Amino acid sequence: MEIRCWRICLMAVAGLLSASGIAQSTPPNVPLSDRVVAYQIEGKYDAKTHTLDANELLTYTNKTGVTLDKFPFHLYLNAFQPKSTWVTESERIGSRDFARGTPWDDKHFGSNEVKSLEIVGAGGVTEDVTKQMKFVSPDDGNADDRTVFEIVPPKPVAPGESIQFKIHFVAKFPDVVARTGYKRDFLMAGQWFPKVGVWWNGAWNCHQFHASTEFFADFGTFDVKLTLPAKWNVGATGLETGTKDNGNGTQTVSFHAEDVHDFAWTADPSTNVVEDSIKLRGRTVKIRMLMQPGHMDSSQRYMDALKGTMRKFDEWIGAYPYPQITLVDPPHGGGAAGGMEYPTLITADTSWFMPHSMLVPELVVEHEFGHQYWYGLVATNEFENAWMDEGINSYTEVKIMDALYGRNTSVLNSRLGTLSEREEQHTSYVPMSDRDPLSRPAWLFVDGNSYASITYGKTAVMMVTLESLIGEKAVLHGLHEYFERYKFKHPTPAEFTASMNESVGQNLDWYWKQSIYGTETLDDRILSAGSERLDWYNKADEKKGVTIYHTQVIVHRRGTFDIPVLLEVKFDDGTTVREVWDGKDRWRKFTWDRTSKLVSAEIDPDHGNLLDRDPFNNSWVEKADRKAAGKVAGYWTLLTQWLEQALSWLA
Amino acid sequence: MTGSVRSSAGLVWRHQRLVWWIFAVNLVLAWLASLPARATLSAVLDHSLASARLVTGFDIGAFILLMQRPDVQPPSLAVGAVGASLVFLLYLLFIDGGVFTVYEEDRKLSRAEFFENAGLFFWRMLRLGLYSAVPFGVLAAINGGIASYAGKLSNEAPQERLGFFVNMGSKLVILLVALFVRLCFDLAQARVVRDNERGLCRTLWRSFKLALHSGELFVSYIGIGLFAAATAALGIGIWVYLPHSATGASFLVLELVTITQIASRLWLKAASARWVALLPSDVAIVMAVVAEPVVEVVEVIDVQAPVTEPLPEPLPEPLTEPPLSE
Repeated sequence: MEIRCWRICLMAVAGLLSASGIAQSTPPNVPLSDRVVAYQIEGKYDAKTHTLDANELLTYTNKTGVTLDKFPFHLYLNAFQPKSTWVTESERIGSRDFARGTPWDDKHFGSNEVKSLEIVGAGGVTEDVTKQMKFVSPDDGNADDRTVFEIVPPKPVAPGESIQFKIHFVAKFPDVVARTGYKRDFLMAGQWFPKVGVWWNGAWNCHQFHASTEFFADFGTFDVKLTLPAKWNVGATGLETGTKDNGNGTQTVSFHAEDVHDFAWTADPSTNVVEDSIKLRGRTVKIRMLMQPGHMDSSQRYMDALKGTMRKFDEWIGAYPYPQITLVDPPHGGGAAGGMEYPTLITADTSWFMPHSMLVPELVVEHEFGHQYWYGLVATNEFENAWMDEGINSYTEVKIMDALYGRNTSVLNSRLGTLSEREEQHTSYVPMSDRDPLSRPAWLFVDGNSYASITYGKTAVMMVTLESLIGEKAVLHGLHEYFERYKFKHPTPAEFTASMNESVGQNLDWYWKQSIYGTETLDDRILSAGSERLDWYNKADEKKGVTIYHTQVIVHRRGTFDIPVLLEVKFDDGTTVREVWDGKDRWRKFTWDRTSKLVSAEIDPDHGNLLDRDPFNNSWVEKADRKAAGKVAGYWTLLTQWLEQALSWLA
Repeated sequence: MTGSVRSSAGLVWRHQRLVWWIFAVNLVLAWLASLPARATLSAVLDHSLASARLVTGFDIGAFILLMQRPDVQPPSLAVGAVGASLVFLLYLLFIDGGVFTVYEEDRKLSRAEFFENAGLFFWRMLRLGLYSAVPFGVLAAINGGIASYAGKLSNEAPQERLGFFVNMGSKLVILLVALFVRLCFDLAQARVVRDNERGLCRTLWRSFKLALHSGELFVSYIGIGLFAAATAALGIGIWVYLPHSATGASFLVLELVTITQIASRLWLKAASARWVALLPSDVAIVMAVVAEPVVEVVEVIDVQAPVTEPLPEPLPEPLTEPPLSE
């Protein structure tokens, strides 16, 4: 009894504290993650040369269970050099930043130069191992790629032991490209410091930077001090812990972040700071937005989208564990910095005069905040399993944009036309549906288009289609369980599918095998449908309700994806019949003998199967309706008339 | 300017049969060009429940999926549209001789007269049309170059809006220059018809000089262009607010927009035809010898005109022989 009273009192106090927001003002020191790494970085930014001269002290704790005798590091900024793998691949297959064949421009040059690398030994004695740095190219053997180097410590690091690396480096930022760099005075500093690889599945995982790959890193803590021009607004991962005016026209801003696996920061003298907060499960999360003055009309749109998204993730997936989220609005011309995620910091995207009917700012904010879960917290390997962050995030994007802005109007809500997020993903997937499997490492896709369509689009439509098989609630419940199980971890595709199977209580391996590991495509259709008199030889008049008709519908599977098919048939007496076909054969014939004729036959009547490439052949209506063809053909006629008019300017 | 605009509008109104004929050909050609698209779309949509997404609203996702079908090939369908446009261009060049004759003489021509004039001037109109492709092509290239430069400015100039303003400003200037080029060629067409001129380069050069001195006419062109833009904006504005399912009403409104665009183009031609018709036949000599602006010559004529009219109504005598060269 006494113990119960104490418990109740403690719970009441805890509840009061959290409700008043006091709990979040002192960040919890209980580690949420393994905290394999601890970075302490002090850097000085030269705004004229766009360079950062910095010292990094990395403490790596060996939690792998095996002795480590070498350490690979990423130097991502070296990707922005003409002979690097990133630039070469962009030139050959295209990327978001460089269209195929774009000439190299020196303004995009970037580099991470390690000036010295020391290993701190017992008693703080350091050993200079700079000369032992060895650049490696594990993916393509490109000797000119300098995005990964390895170092062999003098003494192997046993399980449970720690090792400290002291690195003096200079980061040269490019004119903004691939979500990092400067534009005028604006700077978005992403992937700017030497970052150690991840020991994953019994080996080091440290890939080169490719045109279509992103990042993978271990969780830990970051303490970063940045010296830059005074009065510049600075935003970064984590929380600002102090600002010191150095009296020489510079300031030093300090940040602390814990249980994150990356650190990004931004600085700009002209941004407006917009602050607000949101209460989720009794915890207050601070929202800080760094807005360009010319984009202030998008400010409220960003804020509403961010809050709506945070609420939905909190409701459906799980709690956001950090005390702050920072949103960075890149300037005009700096779009290459937009639409990117870093832990507790996202970059948005808008433009002047952005119409309210175009929900681009909302979409980008939703997507990037979603990455706080699918990348930030569930920290999958973005090099090898890009669909697990970008793709699953695209699915939650569909769900949340639909919920916030309407199922048919979540991307474009104009009087001229509408576009939904699910259809955007669907139309992106369809033309590339048979190119690459989801399971393919990102840099091995046939080209950038296939990477984008499959990674984002196919995963989204795969998960939406799964809803049509097991129900929306089951899928969201499965994702919630997966999140809770793998937050602050690095799950594999097998762990995802196993978690989903277990959560929904079904073995869905048949589905995962085709949709994740295969390139099977799906195009089910109504091959033929119609009714005719059963007594076709009888010349007497038909009598409604008396004459019996033989109705036949043939469903045909054109693709190679096996999936159950639901058929809905409507008759002219108002009755509706639903039949299920397991989809195992090439076709299935359904027949009925009854006193009513066929009105329509439709497969996937709830329109949930987005893996189906063609929705137009999914149904057959007995009575032709020429309105749609007339409307589209009418517009085609009109466009031709206007083209005629335009050309007649020569007459 | 108002008198010039009003009187040329009167010409278009009095001879509105031309507008209707041109519109009919425009519509029929486009309809014929869209027949393959109509057949393809009918095969896909007429018996599909999914087609409702294009009727009750305009679902862009459904439209993209429709265009992605292998049996719907937008590029091949576009070939028909381009072909129809070329035929329409040829048709307009063919009837230009008749059209200018109607506007210059301000009387209803018999069918035989109209087509006689059309045939008489067709080859010259065709050549002028081809010549006009050169300056318009150059303008298009300049526009592309400036747009590219403006894009670069947007990315790199210290003032982030500089590129935007350069782009918008240059577009306005290019639009005005294009209108001026069109004015030169319209005057040339009008002179070819009035004076039966055969030396097209010489005619173009004279028309260019005449255009330079015809500020009032150029302002009329700008006014008529603004009218065309305003009516298009109004029509499209009305169309946007029509229900998606009102396909018939939508079609009618957009066809009205098309008619106003055709009428506006003819209005420009009528303004030029009237302007040239009012010139004395020896204006070229006067310009060459006295080196006075054409506008002043016109003013001298104005003094002799009836007081009630800002510009003389009687048309000058048709030339019986070609004017002397400069």
